[in-house]
Amino acid sequence: MNKAESVTKGLFQAKVLSNQQIRQCYYRIILEFDPKGSELFRNVLPGQFLEIDLSRISLPETSRIPKHLRDVSQRQVLLRRPFSFSDVMISRDKKGVSVKVEILYCVLGPATVRMMSLKNDDTINVMGPLGNGFSVPSGLSQAILIAGGMGSPPILHLASYLKQRYPECQPVCFVGAKTCEDLPFTVRIGNITGVVLEEFEIVRVPSFVATDDGSAGYRGFVTDNARHWIEHNQIDPNSTVIFACGPEPMLLSAALLAENYKLPCQVSMERMMACGIGLCQSCAVETKSSAGDTKYRLCCKDGPVFNANDVIFHKA
Amino acid sequence: MMEQDVNLTVDFAGLDLAAPVMTASGTCGYADELSEFMDVSMLGGITTKSISLNPRKGNPTPRIVETSEGMLNAIGLANMGLDQFIEEKIPVLEQLNTKIFVNLAGQTIDEYVAVADRLAKESAIDGFELNISCPNVKKGGITFGTDPKLIGEITAAVKKVCLKKPLMVKLTPTVTDISITAKAAIEAGADALSLVNTFTAMAIDIETQKPVLANRTGGLSGPAIKPIAVYLVNKVYNEVAKDAGIPILGMGGIRNTEDAVEFIIAGATAVAIGTATFVYPNTAESIVSGLGRYCQKKGIFDIRELIGCLK
Repeated sequence: MNKAESVTKGLFQAKVLSNQQIRQCYYRIILEFDPKGSELFRNVLPGQFLEIDLSRISLPETSRIPKHLRDVSQRQVLLRRPFSFSDVMISRDKKGVSVKVEILYCVLGPATVRMMSLKNDDTINVMGPLGNGFSVPSGLSQAILIAGGMGSPPILHLASYLKQRYPECQPVCFVGAKTCEDLPFTVRIGNITGVVLEEFEIVRVPSFVATDDGSAGYRGFVTDNARHWIEHNQIDPNSTVIFACGPEPMLLSAALLAENYKLPCQVSMERMMACGIGLCQSCAVETKSSAGDTKYRLCCKDGPVFNANDVIFHKA
Repeated sequence: MMEQDVNLTVDFAGLDLAAPVMTASGTCGYADELSEFMDVSMLGGITTKSISLNPRKGNPTPRIVETSEGMLNAIGLANMGLDQFIEEKIPVLEQLNTKIFVNLAGQTIDEYVAVADRLAKESAIDGFELNISCPNVKKGGITFGTDPKLIGEITAAVKKVCLKKPLMVKLTPTVTDISITAKAAIEAGADALSLVNTFTAMAIDIETQKPVLANRTGGLSGPAIKPIAVYLVNKVYNEVAKDAGIPILGMGGIRNTEDAVEFIIAGATAVAIGTATFVYPNTAESIVSGLGRYCQKKGIFDIRELIGCLK
């Protein structure tokens, strides 16, 4: 067993097919995996993630670097950066399986500043697929998806995954951000329905927007918006699950909402990580242990998706 | 001209290493995670993460932060403890065709001794690395590693229970003169030295004006520390280890073959790969191949000719 017999993750190359700004600091990049990566990702689940080596990518011209990131972008990048995906496109032909993934990213530090400068046909080194994704219980009839800010991409992937694979399941999605500008999606004002997120419209999943300042959709927290919806709809707690990804206070609210309505809830957690494969032990998530004590589990290896009941959330 | 095979095997404190490259403690788990990325039998050995007598939860998060060409960590020796290690991990380690060093941690000398005593009887374990240099725990760790008298006491006490398995002492660079601590370890019976552990360091979030790490301070590792580590390996080699005939496991920021060669020239018998494994988990294996190519290019047929050859 010096080399593992069953390989589930690995290192491979990916080619950039497009890398475009959506708005302000938000970008959408589409990567095409080499045959090894495609094989590894053929059964990938929403909520899993990958890590990209951005240390070898050069900085864009200074004028393209947001002013507030010019100092921090001078720092060399050492570690890989984890990304979830908003879409995975799998095609099969005679030559085998070919996988493309779409990643929505926010430029917020030295690595993502470098990521801006990736051009079509550039190649990057990727490690994945990593972690455990969302799990869909059998008989699921209603999925309540709750997404906050940059936690939204895997929720979009989950929405389209449920639509494709679970025709009996009705997903509905609640997306929140500080302001309209902070939504990592294409926002359109519909005639009847109000604010529409095009990405969710394309996969035919109803979406409801909440912003802290009311600049789009409901004014307030995304979890309060979800609460109103649950109050006004018939929910069968035996066949409904809340799936959430976003900032930790939002995940805590989603967990409390689930508890109120006696619904199971899965949350995708985020932690600083160095390795992504369980070596460094840095991405600890405090969880309840059977002995009534608490136990650290690893976001990268045991998560990033956890049952909300198991997690001890950090309030700040 | 025919390419002659290069001998990459080295004798390390009585153990035959297949190559002078190992993985560093705390960066390779128990090697099980790594076997998806490389053939660990290509390596000279692996050093497990620290094992303490009782399980340790570790520190709150954030436990790491990236800095210029490096990272700080304050994991706090999170580990499953001796009993679970024996039950779950020894059977895995037994399957590996490479040398296994267990990194020993504790809060008291008795605790270190208890762990070594129990593991010395395990045939899967080839040697020990005494962690007296962890900067991230309140008791034990670095408090032992900066005091030559305590280093002597703990090294002698643990050495007594190691049976015939080599005991390597891991030194902290956070001392005024590392040769003094190196000498203390050797005089007390250390069979090998590993250096350097991380440098105590801090990163500050200027928005909150608080330290980034929950533990406030952490250990700096990665390429940022490499030139200092090379210097310290050379210093210990020249001033202590060479004359004592004690091998050095050199580490600190190695991420490629060139880095590894520098350490060997400086006096390391073998090198360990740490932080670089986080980025490319197969780094150690690629360095083994790279060392062979370097030797061929230089017309060296035995890697041992390189050890401490600094002109």
